Amino acid sequence: MNDINTDVLRSCSHWILFVSSIAILPPVCLTLIRKTKARLQSRIGPPLLQPFYDLIKLCRKSETVSSTMSGMFRLASVAGLATIILLAWLTPWLSYKPWSPSADLFLIIYLFALARVFSLLGALDSGSAFGAFGASREVTLGLLVEPALMLGLVALGLFCGSSDLRMIFSYPQTIGGGAAAGAGAAGIWLLVGIAILLASLIELSRMPVDDPTTHLELTMVHEAMVLEASGRNLALIEFAHALRMSIFFGLSAQCFVHALASVCRINTLTQGILSVVGIFGIAIFVGVLESLAVKLQWRKVPEFVAYVVSMSLLAAFVAAGNGGIKL
Amino acid sequence: MKLERDSVKLEERIDTLRPLLHQTGNRLGLISSIDGKQLISLLLNTAENRAVCWESPLQTNRYHSLAPVISQAHWFERTLWDMFGLEPENHPRLKHNLLHEAYSIDLIPLLAEEPVSSNGKSREYSPMAVKGDGIYEIPVGPIHAGIIEPGHFRFSCLGEVIFNLEIRLGYVHRGVEKRMCELPWGKMRFLAEAAASDSAAAYALAHSIAVESCFDVAVSYKADFLRTISLEVERIAMHINDLGGMAGDIGFLAISSTMGRLRGVALSMAEQLTGSRLQRGFICPGGVVFDPSEKLPSIKASANWLRKELKPVISFFMSNEVVRDRMENVGKVSPRLAADFGLVGPAGRASDQKYDARHHFVHGVYPRVRVPIAMEVGGDVLSRAKVRIAELESSLFLVEQLIDGLPEGETCIRLPDALPNNASGIGIVESHRGELIHLIFTDSQGQCCRYAIKDASVNNWTGLAIAVRNNLVSDFPLCNKSFGLSYSGHDL
Repeated sequence: MNDINTDVLRSCSHWILFVSSIAILPPVCLTLIRKTKARLQSRIGPPLLQPFYDLIKLCRKSETVSSTMSGMFRLASVAGLATIILLAWLTPWLSYKPWSPSADLFLIIYLFALARVFSLLGALDSGSAFGAFGASREVTLGLLVEPALMLGLVALGLFCGSSDLRMIFSYPQTIGGGAAAGAGAAGIWLLVGIAILLASLIELSRMPVDDPTTHLELTMVHEAMVLEASGRNLALIEFAHALRMSIFFGLSAQCFVHALASVCRINTLTQGILSVVGIFGIAIFVGVLESLAVKLQWRKVPEFVAYVVSMSLLAAFVAAGNGGIKL
Repeated sequence: MKLERDSVKLEERIDTLRPLLHQTGNRLGLISSIDGKQLISLLLNTAENRAVCWESPLQTNRYHSLAPVISQAHWFERTLWDMFGLEPENHPRLKHNLLHEAYSIDLIPLLAEEPVSSNGKSREYSPMAVKGDGIYEIPVGPIHAGIIEPGHFRFSCLGEVIFNLEIRLGYVHRGVEKRMCELPWGKMRFLAEAAASDSAAAYALAHSIAVESCFDVAVSYKADFLRTISLEVERIAMHINDLGGMAGDIGFLAISSTMGRLRGVALSMAEQLTGSRLQRGFICPGGVVFDPSEKLPSIKASANWLRKELKPVISFFMSNEVVRDRMENVGKVSPRLAADFGLVGPAGRASDQKYDARHHFVHGVYPRVRVPIAMEVGGDVLSRAKVRIAELESSLFLVEQLIDGLPEGETCIRLPDALPNNASGIGIVESHRGELIHLIFTDSQGQCCRYAIKDASVNNWTGLAIAVRNNLVSDFPLCNKSFGLSYSGHDL
């Protein structure tokens, strides 16, 4: 009786923690990036809760919808957010999580692609030239970044002998050390963590591929796609984008925490705390990067992607040699 | 300086002007009219530092366009069509420049008498249609993101590459030139410097020199020095601003925010000198309004500090690999096209055009004091940035030198109450954008009957349209910033 109660309690607390993380982490990540950028430019920056205020403000505003748009425009943002929330549930981007089904890494990658398809449909439906060329650029970036992301996750799959992300991201000590622990393992986790972090910069249209703070329509990628959105619709898109960012940062942070866990033993509570601290740390790192980086010329973006792909490829080779293939 | 006047028959105009303009050292200042009954073509001779105004009396409202032989004339003739209803024949692309569909067809703003009838054509505007597989159009503006002036850009693109850019201006047309003629001359200076507020010192100086050349008087040495300091401080502030803007457009936030801070220092130098950060109400016909001598040592200290502070910032900016990659070979204007379209200022000098009005025409201590001409041959964004950097350094150095060598004397001489009858005057100033021309003509009662302003942007807007061809759409904002053009200075 007592045991069941603790289980229910634990499960409940996991659910509460998880749902509140989904609601709170994305806007906090945004604030951290903005605040870091502001401090590095000797500005005070926005208050900590500014993204929440922005979302509330957007929800209160009335919406402007162009007469050329079909229902797709509004459907796309709802479907996009739903896909991202599903991803948040399936992807192991936090250490503390309620029960979730096993999630194949290919499923995850194509769910991200599905979310992108929805944002593309929304952009194309807007009928503006900006939406169209933003969509065209987003597709290009998506095509380029997909192999980088896939190779990174496949490297982990090879190493852990499973393509199930739930199995891959279940700390080394729980699967009994062996090949999954030690300095070699830490190296693979680190490589993949960096690859996912760099890939996420492209995936999320951040510097040095796209400047999220720019007001120049002609240079935008993600922003160009959402130019026509307003009010509640825009709030949905903004939140979905921020959540997608947190998932990517979380996935990368998980890799770093696993790297740490393969060289020293850390308990569940520390894992949970580290996964959140890792996300914040990455957000601050991205803030620093965006203050110092210069946006690449559009034609040079493939070169940057090539670095990321080769890093994933390296991780895959090391993993194949180290862990053996037990798929 | 004196405006020389000559006349040439309308039929012989093109045959006379063409060989003159093809001589090296001669350039076209502007083409306009005084009251719609003649064409005036201002020729600037940089070999002998003269300005000659060729007048050609008109019988009808039609004339042969100069644009097919002198490309630079195309923009002047479009404005002339709007302002005086004078229609050029054989103009390659005649379109309304300043007056949009919203204005009545019968409105011809600068014509002395009311027109008897409309010219029969409606005020329509159709952008050039580029057709072909995969060509699509991106309309941008007139309202832009960010706090900038309005202008419409129509890009015809093939994928990510710009095929053609058509620029439509005139959204901030306020009728400055007409209003100038309605004011008593003592008040004209306030309107002159408000016409383009980011070049207030240059505009006030060009206006003052034009009025002084009407009266045929010269101001004191001390006033010349103070005016030059004011002009150079404005150049410093705006060059810093433009470099920061270029850094911002490629997402280099560290540099763009630092440049913003340093521009603040230049603006506070301006405030100490003139009492206003944008230098309003300081330079006036006759000299300068007050003597800021006791502030000069601290302005000198600021200039010195700024020079030292800028050095590491600029080298950090220019030594960045990605910055060079973004700027090199982007937005190129070949020297030949720059010469054909008469590009001026930093944009012209970056395309191998050796022309700096400070070497030729009297304004402030120029041309007695020689400043080095910053030249580049690349014609790309990087060259324009380099020219600005070189000018920034020479201007800062010059400000210190001028403050050290400031002569004693009066700051302002008293001018007569009324402008002389049937007189004309010209002021040519090298503003931070390039050659700025103010022309003034008075009637038999000594009232200003025509005031013409030619901002550097009038020449350089076409340069931008040329520069972005075959470049990436996403590089347009950077190209635009590298030209640093004015909408209000063009639209007037």
